[in-house]
Amino acid sequence: MLVDLVQNTLDGLSAGAAYALLALGFTLIFGVLRRANLSFGPAIMFGCYAATWTHVNFGAGLLLLAVITICGAVLAGAYVERLCFAPHRGGSAIAAMVASFALWMQFEELATLVMPRHLYAFPLLYEGDALALGPFTLRVDTLVLLGAALAACALMGWILYRTRFGLAVRALIEQPAAAALAGINVPWVFAGVFALASAIGGVAGYLVVASHGQITPMLGMWATLKGLLAMMLGGLGSLPGAVIGGLALGLIEAHSQWYLGPQMRDLIAYLLLFILLAARVPWMTTRSAS
Amino acid sequence: MSFLSVRDVVTAYGKIEALKGVSLEVAEGAITCLLGPNGAGKTTLMMTIAGILKPKRGAIQFAGAEIAGRAPHAIVARGVALVPENRLVFPAMTVLENMHAGAYQRGDKKTVAADIERMFARFPRLKERAAQQAGTLSGGEQQMLAVARALMSRPKLLLMDEPSLGLAPLVVEEIFRIVTELHRDGTTIFLVEQNAHMALKVAQHFYLMEQGKVTFSGDPGSLAEDEVIQRAYLGSAQR
Repeated sequence: MLVDLVQNTLDGLSAGAAYALLALGFTLIFGVLRRANLSFGPAIMFGCYAATWTHVNFGAGLLLLAVITICGAVLAGAYVERLCFAPHRGGSAIAAMVASFALWMQFEELATLVMPRHLYAFPLLYEGDALALGPFTLRVDTLVLLGAALAACALMGWILYRTRFGLAVRALIEQPAAAALAGINVPWVFAGVFALASAIGGVAGYLVVASHGQITPMLGMWATLKGLLAMMLGGLGSLPGAVIGGLALGLIEAHSQWYLGPQMRDLIAYLLLFILLAARVPWMTTRSAS
Repeated sequence: MSFLSVRDVVTAYGKIEALKGVSLEVAEGAITCLLGPNGAGKTTLMMTIAGILKPKRGAIQFAGAEIAGRAPHAIVARGVALVPENRLVFPAMTVLENMHAGAYQRGDKKTVAADIERMFARFPRLKERAAQQAGTLSGGEQQMLAVARALMSRPKLLLMDEPSLGLAPLVVEEIFRIVTELHRDGTTIFLVEQNAHMALKVAQHFYLMEQGKVTFSGDPGSLAEDEVIQRAYLGSAQR
């Protein structure tokens, strides 16, 4: 019993760490622009497909693939920002969201045109056997995923709370007019936020694809849904909340899959979100009101 | 000498013109005050000078350069800082972080640190609360923080939009004491106020604004105070 509990908690945490990264990216964009960027996940998929394409055609090492994934995601993120969000700054939120949905379709079409098979193999993070620690088995790639995701969270914390750019981002999230009056170059910070959010999204995408060893065009939708869900669980616009929401989502999924069966895995998370929204828990309502 | 010159500025929200051709001058080294009833367009004028709102027409010159329609950060770089209406501090950031945000464009950490010490000397209560979240401060303390944040950019011209709004009389006195101190130290101040009595005591020159237009300009004493107060609160009777 206890062994299962601990094992599931570990699995949940490592999935949750990737969700936390996705939620952080989502929260940055949502917090700064007050816009939902539906193309966040598909931009990550674009980066992962760019890496897969390189791997299939030229064969490349894991490190190079990670760099290509992150650069590809940042490039796609910049494209989304220029096309969907820069023209609608201070304008219609719906127009920006619909435009980002159109780019989602564009990314998926491009991926399936260039690489028509439904599934491609991606080099695994670690090919050896799982570690046996007493009664527990620990997959090494799970540990790498957990470690890398936590390191990326820590790096994000450092950027947001210890650098000048981070100060500007937080100021813009809290009080946009006052941030501009303080002399912050708002369009420049918007672009920087998109680059940063896409980069951590790229890290999450790479870690997930490399630990599963495969990629499909569904990755874009998967990343958008998980990121949105984790962001909402942690409270809209809260950066620490995004990390907590991501980890919580991973744990909820792992435990409900084990105790209630695989088909309940996603359902329980959505049910919980529904209950939290219906109950109007304080951390979910205060942020969105401001 | 005219330091800030606003000429024929029209600013509109959609089709509704909140400023219908405003012209005024702010002299270097002086306290200039703008009075007028609610809805006269005072805040709109401040937001237009600071670049948050773009004017439809007209010219705004500061220290010889045209700033109308420029981005807010470019206007801050020229030396204009606005203490906005309702203070707009960053509530979840500490007092110290708020002040660092005000110094965003300044690269030299040493002079920034020295300026923060100077602000703490001027506003001792901010020093006591340096590590506290700005949202937990009282209204008066938040106003002081908003002033300190604006001063951190080392402005040549300080715009203040209703600094006494919603504050207790004793705190209002303190705010005006700070305004006169800043003036004595050489800062040019352009002040929007509802509190005409206090404003006329500190200003060297004042403007009255009603319904999007400047309707009177003069020195304190050039118009009986009760007439100024009546027009500042209620607008002109004949219209």
